[in-house]
Amino acid sequence: MFPAHPNQFGPPKPAPAWLGWLAFLFFVFAQVFSVVTSPADAMMGHLQKNMYVHVPAAWVAFGAFGVVLVASLYFLWRDDERADLLAASSAEVGSLFCGLTLVLGMLWGRPTWGVWWSWDARLTTTLVLFLIFVGYLALRSFVEDPHRRGQWSAAVGILGAINVPIVWMSVQWWRTLHQIQSNPRGLSPVYLRGLLLNVAAFTLLTIWFIWRRYEAARYERAAEHAAQAAALGGYNA
Amino acid sequence: MAFSDDVRRIRAIVWKDLTTERRSKAGFNSVASLGVTILVLFGLALGPDGKALHDAAAGALWLAILFAGVLAFNRSYQVELDGGALEALLLYPGARWAIFAGKLIANLIFVTLMLVIVVAVGIVLFSVDVPATWPRIVLIMMLGVVGIVSLGTFYAAMSSRSRAREVLLPLLLYPMLIPVLLAAMSATKALLFGDVMNEAGAWMQMLVIFDVIFLVATFLAFEYVIEV
Amino acid sequence: MPSGMAGGGVGYVVASYVITWVVLGAMLMRTVSSVRRARAEYDQAAKGEFRT
Repeated sequence: MFPAHPNQFGPPKPAPAWLGWLAFLFFVFAQVFSVVTSPADAMMGHLQKNMYVHVPAAWVAFGAFGVVLVASLYFLWRDDERADLLAASSAEVGSLFCGLTLVLGMLWGRPTWGVWWSWDARLTTTLVLFLIFVGYLALRSFVEDPHRRGQWSAAVGILGAINVPIVWMSVQWWRTLHQIQSNPRGLSPVYLRGLLLNVAAFTLLTIWFIWRRYEAARYERAAEHAAQAAALGGYNA
Repeated sequence: MAFSDDVRRIRAIVWKDLTTERRSKAGFNSVASLGVTILVLFGLALGPDGKALHDAAAGALWLAILFAGVLAFNRSYQVELDGGALEALLLYPGARWAIFAGKLIANLIFVTLMLVIVVAVGIVLFSVDVPATWPRIVLIMMLGVVGIVSLGTFYAAMSSRSRAREVLLPLLLYPMLIPVLLAAMSATKALLFGDVMNEAGAWMQMLVIFDVIFLVATFLAFEYVIEV
Repeated sequence: MPSGMAGGGVGYVVASYVITWVVLGAMLMRTVSSVRRARAEYDQAAKGEFRT
């Protein structure tokens, strides 16, 4: 009756329930296990345990922003609205973890360096990335037309991703005094095990969050499509 | 010749935008006055100690240009939207990037004129000794303005057509401009203090790289932003 | 070495875990409820479509 528009999609396939349970149970296990089994560090004492929340949060935040970049490029290439909804879901989850990373980093920096914040390249770049994606989400909330919202936010997401290495470079140069990269190879095995376990747990959680947020966005759009079709059908009859 | 047609289009848009500004003048005058006012506020925040003012001059100048420039970028589309002229502009044949180039050049001229006024006032208010290397400072200012204007013109194409345009443009633009501003401020500051660390050249190179990257990226992305 | 590194860091560690769990818990609630709401909205709209 109506020409099938490529973006006239129906309801999504729900995320399997077991994935959610697995993600949360594994998360609880990884957190408890790593905290209980890791001894106090010779240098940092119990502060070392901050690593099991701060580092995984940072990694999954960057991973989620990577998903935004890929989904945005795909959206501009194929004009598939589902890619735009995936980008939006990832941006939201990524911003959450990025903000968490910043707060957890401060909770480590204060007792270690004596300051809440230091203007080094990694901190500053993470903060700028967070601000860029706050802007991305604000843009989405201020634009109603789905196609326009998709195109615009894809452009903002891609330019934001391009900006990350540039900010890094400029801040690095601006402030050559910087911290040594956290490098898993330099860790003793007991800490490394806890870290990897938590990275896996955070990754599972992130996948599940993005999937469910994406699902909700798909339902919302499908509901709009259905309402539109109903209105058009009523008009024609 | 398709390219010479594009050049003609660009020139027409630049001319149109600048004529609108020249006829009204109110836009330029108020934006330039705002730039000066911001400088005065910085002076009050940092002064009256002469040395503190002198140290902060480079940063204050760039921030004044940035804050005042943001108003210019939204205006540049606002005048089009009020008359429904942007749709007409898009309906004309020819490449979309020509529209961006036209707006970009018009904004460049606008912001450069404002910069002249703001810098002149800044030299007086912040007791800046103009160093012998002033041609390099002028070059850095031009490079910095190109970075600010290219990103500003690009993001304003979106923000001016959304709800909440006043807050959206700074929110999107400022984080993106951090590398450009950092490089421009550092280079200006280094040159004002005699470039003892010999870093101004490196900052200038970075500024050129940033400008090229952002110019290419905004030209490529403009197509997607303007068509909807 | 700044003070607080040897023994006083426990408070900061506890705070970071509490914050992490609270934030993730809040995100869990928000996510689940948003899916539920959107799904109900969709079911409603789909029913409306079939009625007309």
